[in-house]
Amino acid sequence: MRKTMILSILLLVLAAPGAFAQKAPPPATGLLPLDDLNLFPEDKLSVEINIEGALLRMVAEALKGEDPDLASLLGSLRSIRVQVLPLEDGNESLAKTSIGRAVRWLEGQGWKSTVRVREKGEETHIYLKETDGNVMGMTVLAMGEGEAVVINIAGRFDPADIGRISRGLNIDMDLPGLDKVPSGDGKKKPE
Amino acid sequence: MNRHEDRMLCEESLDVLEAYVDGDLPAEESLRFQEHLAGCPACAAELALAEKIQRELRTLPLPDCPPGVLEKVRRAGKGEVVAFPRRERTLGRRIAAVAAALVLSVGGGALFLHVQQVQREREQIAQAELEVRYALAMIGKVSRRTGLDLRDQILQKHVVSPTARGLARSLGVSPAPEEPAPGRR
Repeated sequence: MRKTMILSILLLVLAAPGAFAQKAPPPATGLLPLDDLNLFPEDKLSVEINIEGALLRMVAEALKGEDPDLASLLGSLRSIRVQVLPLEDGNESLAKTSIGRAVRWLEGQGWKSTVRVREKGEETHIYLKETDGNVMGMTVLAMGEGEAVVINIAGRFDPADIGRISRGLNIDMDLPGLDKVPSGDGKKKPE
Repeated sequence: MNRHEDRMLCEESLDVLEAYVDGDLPAEESLRFQEHLAGCPACAAELALAEKIQRELRTLPLPDCPPGVLEKVRRAGKGEVVAFPRRERTLGRRIAAVAAALVLSVGGGALFLHVQQVQREREQIAQAELEVRYALAMIGKVSRRTGLDLRDQILQKHVVSPTARGLARSLGVSPAPEEPAPGRR
């Protein structure tokens, strides 16, 4: 009897940390859990970008001399994630459903809708996550011109900086070497 | 040369006897010594005795040299050779040599791996930089496509409007209706 009691207590003590560990951690502020939401099928993505943590800080450090504004912005970010799904082979309805699911998740998590546009089959949503008056995350969901896009930027930043810097970049002309640089993590390269 | 000078006397013969036994006597002297022996049984007997003693001496065991003496001789010898003193290959020296070789090879390998690692990191950073620019450019593209100015939109919604509402409440007046976003929201 005594042995059984000791064994039961021992099992309880050993099992307790495991039970706590299995509890899913709350979503990090400003982060859209793309993996959990499973918005677009990975095998159909034309672009998938996932930069976070140390790599983001290294990029910020590398850009200090060349582009101080961008370096300063990146230094305040935690992650940048992009997924682009080409709207072909009947992907349109899938993209629309996925964007709707993302919108519901964002609103359920207290993100604020900043921009919402629906026009001529195109759809754009921009959400901001604020904590104590500071912007901690931005998510862009867009459909149009033959592609559906999800962009999530997490970190403490001024959205105006992103607007200003992004206006100066041309997606078609400024990235000629994108397909030439070998990817270290096996991710797809933007086309 | 007269006959007296040519012939070896017994006195002279006994002087060269040891050298003859040891084989150190020159050929000409040896010949004169042998001629003297032929006519002098006393000197011949002396030679026979000397040769017997030498034979018996060679049969005696050789004594070992005491280790201390050998060591002193070695040290003295080393002390004289100044230019390139011979180093003893002790275990410590061998271990040190192996360790030095290991350090060199491991260090060289580590340096090579480090250079490769730095190169890989540079490539990853370059790739990440392009991807960051792509992500931001994509935001710019979406903004342009929808005819929105992200900065104006956000400032209006999150700074200007809340401030205006707060001021209106403070002043006790009804706030002005918000201007809709460029025909969309």
